[in-house]
Amino acid sequence: MTVINKIKENLFLVLVVLAYIIMFIIKPPMGIESIKNSGYYIKEMLMIMPVIFVLTALLDMWVPKEKIMKFLGKDAKAKGVFLAFVVGSISAGPIYAAFPMCVMLHKKGASIRNIIIILSSWAVIKVPMLLNETKFLGPKFMTIRWILTVIAIIIFSWIASKMLKDEDLPGETVTKTGLSLNRDACMGCTLCVKNYSELFEIQGRKAMIKTYDKTTIDKEKLQNMIKACPVNAIEYIEE
Amino acid sequence: MDIFTMAIWVGTLIFLGVSLVKDKTKTKQALKMAFGMGKGMATSIFSIIFAIGLILTLLPPTEIANFVGKQSVLLATVSAAILGTITLVPAFIAFPLVGTLVNAGVGIVPSVAFLTTLTMVGVVTFPLEKKEFGAKFTAIRNGFSFLSAIIIALVMGVII
Repeated sequence: MTVINKIKENLFLVLVVLAYIIMFIIKPPMGIESIKNSGYYIKEMLMIMPVIFVLTALLDMWVPKEKIMKFLGKDAKAKGVFLAFVVGSISAGPIYAAFPMCVMLHKKGASIRNIIIILSSWAVIKVPMLLNETKFLGPKFMTIRWILTVIAIIIFSWIASKMLKDEDLPGETVTKTGLSLNRDACMGCTLCVKNYSELFEIQGRKAMIKTYDKTTIDKEKLQNMIKACPVNAIEYIEE
Repeated sequence: MDIFTMAIWVGTLIFLGVSLVKDKTKTKQALKMAFGMGKGMATSIFSIIFAIGLILTLLPPTEIANFVGKQSVLLATVSAAILGTITLVPAFIAFPLVGTLVNAGVGIVPSVAFLTTLTMVGVVTFPLEKKEFGAKFTAIRNGFSFLSAIIIALVMGVII
């Protein structure tokens, strides 16, 4: 049972490994060639990935996002648009980590347009990535693509906001008091388990909340934990 | 190491130093966060890279360039954009990959369309986005992103 689950969770990896095995049986030279090709990308990735993760985490930690978020409402026109771009391009984590955060922002009054800007810029215009793009595709390519992308996002977020009403988004979900964890956003980094093993455990490569006794919760420890989660997947609402 | 990678390293190390001086616990937390992100994504990143290595052996970039060159620009661009929506590739793999393709002679327009949809539109993330924002929002956002990927690509073809 656990073996099947493991395969399911890593389906893509299993398929890739299988493809390699078949390749090495049928045409060994091509298998070696594939490894060599991958080697180039692994080398490039290892040079840049650690530093990009550190830089994004530092930006995420030091830029006061709570303050910025106040300005994302419907009345804040140009300023809101600008700040939405800032939030999107400095935030840490993959795009799916942006979804729960944007839902929260919308509930707090951010306009649909600004949410679309955050999501789109989150995907394409990460600041640390711009240098990486310059390296492989040249400064001219990066600059032009960046400018065009920003223009495109400004235009299509405006059109989309005319087509969408606030009611089109799913309404207020019943917020439960207590501890909750968004498993869709979780990347399985195990930070929460390491920091607060009494409350969290890993099941199926993602974090889970253990059954807990609310009287024994160390609130300060928990709050620090919530801040440390790279994808803001943990929430605690007091009763 | 090239100048651009160097610049990121130097900049980040300075930032890290300043951060460390200003607030030790915050910095420690940021480092933990970075490590956590890397660990969480490691499996999928390695799978994607090895898959790319395999695909580029079966379909060498020069042959891709050859094939794309024979199609009309619009058809090639739309196909490249569609191909980009299927997969979700982290940007730091997407850039060297598109770099390889451009150097092998694949046109700038299809390459840009591929690069933009690769990072902005996701069939994989569609169900998640729909769950959080509803079908209409998700369809409109992804649809517009797809369209702008093609427009951005075509405009870039004119400028570069």
